[in-house]
Amino acid sequence: MDTTATRSLSFEYHYKNHEGRDCTSQLNITFPFDQESLEECVTQLMSQMDPMMRYLDENISLEKQLQEFVDMEHQRFLDDHAEKLLNQAANEELDLEAIVRNTERLYKDELLQFADRVGPSDADIFAQSFHRLVHSSSLEEILKRERTYAKVVADMTEHMDNEVETLNNSQQQEMDSQINQLDITTTSDDINNLLAQQYTTQNFVRKRYESELEAMMGHQKNEYRDWITSQVSQMFQVPPVATPLGNRSSMFVSQQPSMEESFTIHLGSQLKHMHNIRILSANVTELCSPLHAEESLNGLNMALGLYSSSLCGVVVLTPSIQAQANKNIIKNANKSTEFHFEQIDVQLENIEKQIRSLSTGDSTTSSNSSSTEDSATSSPTKKQVPKLKTGDFFITKHSNLSQSHCIFHLISDEPINSPSEINSRHPVILGLRNILKTASRHDITTLTIPALLRHEMSEDMTVQWCIRRAELVFKCAKGFMIESASWGGAELSTLQLLLPDDISESLFTTLAGMVPSVFHVANPKILVDTNK
Amino acid sequence: MTGRQESRRLCAVTFFAKLHPGDVCGSNGLPLTPNSIAILGRAQKLKELQDEHLCQYLDVIRGKHERTIVVSEYLGLSLEDYAKRNPPLSLAQILRIFYQVACGINVLSQHHLVAHNLEPKHVLISDDGRRIKLFNYGLHHMTKGGCYVPFPIGNIRYMSPERLLGLNGNVKSDVWALAMLVVELVLQIELWPKLKLSNVIRKILAFGRSNGVLEKIAREHQCYERYVSMDKDLRQLLESCLQVLPKKRPLPQELLKQPIFESVLAELKKERDQEIQENQEHVPLLLRCPLSQIYHLWQLAGGDVQAELKKEGLIRSEAPILGLPQIVRLSGASVCPGRSQAQLMDDRVVPLRLKALLQRLSRLPADVYFPLLHSPRFPAHFARELQALPLVIREKDIEYQFQRVRLFTRLLQGYPHTAEQLRREASVDVPPLLRGPIWAALLDVVPNGSYCKIDKFTATSTDRQIEVDIPRCHQYDELLSSPDGHRKLRRLLKAWVTAHPQYVYWQGLDSLTAPFLYLNFNHEELAFLSLFKFIPKYLQWFFLKDNSAVIKEYLSKFSQLTAFHEPLLAQHLASISFIPELFAIPWFLTMFSHVFPLHKILHLWDKLMLGDSSYPLFIGIAILRQLRSTLLSSGFNECILLFSDLPDIVMEGCVLESQKMYEVTPKSITHRQHALHQQQPHSLDIGVTEVELKHLQLEQCPRISAKDVQALLLYSPSELALVDLRSVVEYGRVYVPHSINIPFATVQLGDQRLEALPVANVETQLRGRIVVCVSNIHQHSVEFSHFLVACGIQRTCILHKGFNVLHSIEPNILISN
Repeated sequence: MDTTATRSLSFEYHYKNHEGRDCTSQLNITFPFDQESLEECVTQLMSQMDPMMRYLDENISLEKQLQEFVDMEHQRFLDDHAEKLLNQAANEELDLEAIVRNTERLYKDELLQFADRVGPSDADIFAQSFHRLVHSSSLEEILKRERTYAKVVADMTEHMDNEVETLNNSQQQEMDSQINQLDITTTSDDINNLLAQQYTTQNFVRKRYESELEAMMGHQKNEYRDWITSQVSQMFQVPPVATPLGNRSSMFVSQQPSMEESFTIHLGSQLKHMHNIRILSANVTELCSPLHAEESLNGLNMALGLYSSSLCGVVVLTPSIQAQANKNIIKNANKSTEFHFEQIDVQLENIEKQIRSLSTGDSTTSSNSSSTEDSATSSPTKKQVPKLKTGDFFITKHSNLSQSHCIFHLISDEPINSPSEINSRHPVILGLRNILKTASRHDITTLTIPALLRHEMSEDMTVQWCIRRAELVFKCAKGFMIESASWGGAELSTLQLLLPDDISESLFTTLAGMVPSVFHVANPKILVDTNK
Repeated sequence: MTGRQESRRLCAVTFFAKLHPGDVCGSNGLPLTPNSIAILGRAQKLKELQDEHLCQYLDVIRGKHERTIVVSEYLGLSLEDYAKRNPPLSLAQILRIFYQVACGINVLSQHHLVAHNLEPKHVLISDDGRRIKLFNYGLHHMTKGGCYVPFPIGNIRYMSPERLLGLNGNVKSDVWALAMLVVELVLQIELWPKLKLSNVIRKILAFGRSNGVLEKIAREHQCYERYVSMDKDLRQLLESCLQVLPKKRPLPQELLKQPIFESVLAELKKERDQEIQENQEHVPLLLRCPLSQIYHLWQLAGGDVQAELKKEGLIRSEAPILGLPQIVRLSGASVCPGRSQAQLMDDRVVPLRLKALLQRLSRLPADVYFPLLHSPRFPAHFARELQALPLVIREKDIEYQFQRVRLFTRLLQGYPHTAEQLRREASVDVPPLLRGPIWAALLDVVPNGSYCKIDKFTATSTDRQIEVDIPRCHQYDELLSSPDGHRKLRRLLKAWVTAHPQYVYWQGLDSLTAPFLYLNFNHEELAFLSLFKFIPKYLQWFFLKDNSAVIKEYLSKFSQLTAFHEPLLAQHLASISFIPELFAIPWFLTMFSHVFPLHKILHLWDKLMLGDSSYPLFIGIAILRQLRSTLLSSGFNECILLFSDLPDIVMEGCVLESQKMYEVTPKSITHRQHALHQQQPHSLDIGVTEVELKHLQLEQCPRISAKDVQALLLYSPSELALVDLRSVVEYGRVYVPHSINIPFATVQLGDQRLEALPVANVETQLRGRIVVCVSNIHQHSVEFSHFLVACGIQRTCILHKGFNVLHSIEPNILISN
């Protein structure tokens, strides 16, 4: 469809100048006409006249005439244009069926009135039920239940670990004795057979437990969800009681990172937004430790916040090998049943699937495929397996970790032991920006980012390098936070800058000292009686 | 204006603006403006539309995540419901509806707008069935023809064939929709009620190949007899409106002239005459106030549009964690779970109830609703006791604001005749709703049409700088960051530059203009004229190409006044050479509009508007005073850092302090050569050019005129401490009563303690007073004043022209022996 056609017409204005002579100003006007530019056209026509005419109020009658001209011609232009298209349509020069299809799709996709009504999804209903329940007097009971469930799983895991351990030991002994008898009563074939047999046994035991565990978790999840739903229907009969505890109580009660320091900052040039910055050194897995491992208030905080609009997120760096998360985090997440989302392995599997479909769709855009090839050649076993690249990230959701509702797994392939120099346009930094953007769009108001873009210290990370790297990350984070004010989403209330837990105290102090100079720390307000 | 207001209601609709895909930048390299902001900017124009056939737009609110909420007037019920409740409508009634909707379209087309979403749902009819208003007609305009929203605009059933082909903006498409709507009423049908959406589209497109659209519709809906028996004139008219080629359809104004409407016209005229005579008693007083004020009060009374929408389930809170994407690529492309239906366009209308507000205000006497300005018998003394409360509380108090708004509405109607009274009331406080016009009145602005004559388009050398500055000017504000805001600001700045060939564009003019544009977004002329008057009043000569002399003088005066009010602080800043040139230029060049957010500037300028050109200096000192303890303990580097990004200043305290200082400071103390002088100076005043820049820079303390000293002596001698530095002999000959004689020769300037002075109890004699140093030898006064500042004595100044000038004062004030 040709909707961009234009037409240019000349407008002539006849008038008598201040000496009474007949004059004309002329201007070419393009249609369709934008009413906003009327005044501009008047100015252009006036500028062809003697400046005196301005004082003689010639602009008034000029504007009137021009307006009439424009109105008429604009209407004529629209009518003609419509006529042309309608004739084309009548002569079947246009693909009317395509118009029908597109229009129908637009209406069905965007207007509730025409959309195929689907009810809220199960996840949605459960989310609302849970959120409601957790903000009622049932909170304590929920937590108790979760803890009991977690205990069962933990016991089972422990049991499994114990049995595997015993099995290991006995097999080790058996093996040792066999090896000692090597070439006396046994051959190497015997040993190989034994090894295979032992491996099968161990695998069997492990598999048995794992399937048992899986069944248990599935069972727990069903039971739990049914229970929540039933509780909610009961709750409609009794008036709701207020939550015993506020929603915004601190997320950090139990975990005591080795070092931490907090600041309140103001960002923005005129209108200032307040944010909290906390710099801390801790192992990233500590932020994602199992929720019910110890008696703490964290369970409560996480439950209250889970379906709220103040979520907590953690950025964890991960290499681009596959959609593979930090091993310890997976382990932690598997310590208890994930009642609200898929178990982490399933989530990762799904993401893996998505990546595969994503990349097949992506292969047409060839420009960025070169890096894929590079990395593919370096690991020939994984040829053809598409994967994410530096700066991309995937997200897993959790309800059973201590300080994060969601984990941003940011791909970073920086080799350990050879710290490189990066600048603010580096993909990891841009990925960080995307994370902040996603956080803003999805109401994640507490975010933890690795301040050195590393989770562990290494020999080669000199103090100078650390300072440079931290400064870059701080400054970029500051820039993104300032920018985020215009994104129209949720404001980031707390940004946590995470340093490796094996950082030296002096380096921590140095880096913490940089925070107030990079971010503007709010001045304490001192109220002084000025009337003295 | 009677009965029609009974059923007046407010309502809200909401929708989502389109998200920008991925991460894209505009042509200027800056991030794209969110569409919801662009919508907000465009919608402002709609608020100005007031017509009896249009529902007034009242507000556009931007929610989180690109949600846009539109608040507008609502009347009775929709035509859809009305037709269902009262079937069938009589021909006269149908014609009435036809005519009034056509009136509405016509008004829109006069404003170069098209509705494009005309349908029975958007035609509102009063409960008595007499009056019609169009509703939600601005959607097409505010979304720039649908560019800013993901959903299509307009009900497909009423859509003309050319719109389906993608042509928008033709008012004749609205004429088609209007005709379809009338056809429904006349034939008593619902258009294609059971047809699938795609088939409706096919039907309409098929009209393109047929003549006699009306007949076809009638046949399709099995009511050919009604078609045949239809009033002939009406049938002809409808047929002409349903011509496939827009060219053959009548324009709205042509429609209105049809003879068929003559009876309707006569009827409407009769009703209007009747209404004027009708008794208005039964209408609540509040509903006779402008709707914009009612909405403002509704908000103050705790009205929350978002909460109302939530109550109706229009803002569904879906747990954000469920919508998180699974993967986000570097490019911004992401894999998300499917979009929830809560994001779709839901065209439900949510009424906002006024009942609580009406009850709340019903107790107030009528003279609060309609204050009498010139009758001393009815003084406007309502709620005076509230004036002692802090400003923030007053601005939130509904009854107080109501009274202020009504009072100022009256005063503004009477302006310029009421200028004096307006200024008096404004000194109490300024109601936020009317701040724009009130400021204009305080600046003596009288709109005269001059703005439209100024060339705002011809390219000039400053264009580039303006282009760079605008996208950085108070962009946290939604109005100012919208494309419309940018366009308006550009026009204002260019107009100012064109109108002042003697001046140049200095960076900062943008910030200075921003508050005026913000307050008068729909009245560019008022914004321009306010700026036009504001600059000479407070920033005379600041925008010269070479403004160094002006700025130097201003800053020197600032230093002097700092020493006058905060001697210790001034001393400290001088000692670390933290001079005002390092921090105060943007303060004064932009009257603080560059350093504070808009909401603070508004309160600051409320008071500034009432003071003269010296007032800003006191604001500067008040800021220093607020940071005093930090500054006193800081060195040069810390100070620079502190001022590079000014910390949060408590504006109320700042305003109060500056006002206090402004009031106790004698006028001559603030004398500047470059200020705007409107009157000839008195012979005892400081002459315009008598104090040069070098004097200002040398003297730490300001000079006071003999006139002010005389006034102090006469009216408030207890506030004056006159230190006579002449010798004992000279003092003995002639002196000012109650003056303190400290012969300059006896002072040891090196020993900066008051106790070192030869007079007992000097401190108690000087503290809390305006200390005037007088001598025959000017240099003595200067040095002694420096000594006093070093001792921390506040309000030290020097008598301009020395002791001898006191001889010339009539009547004599000196005592001679």
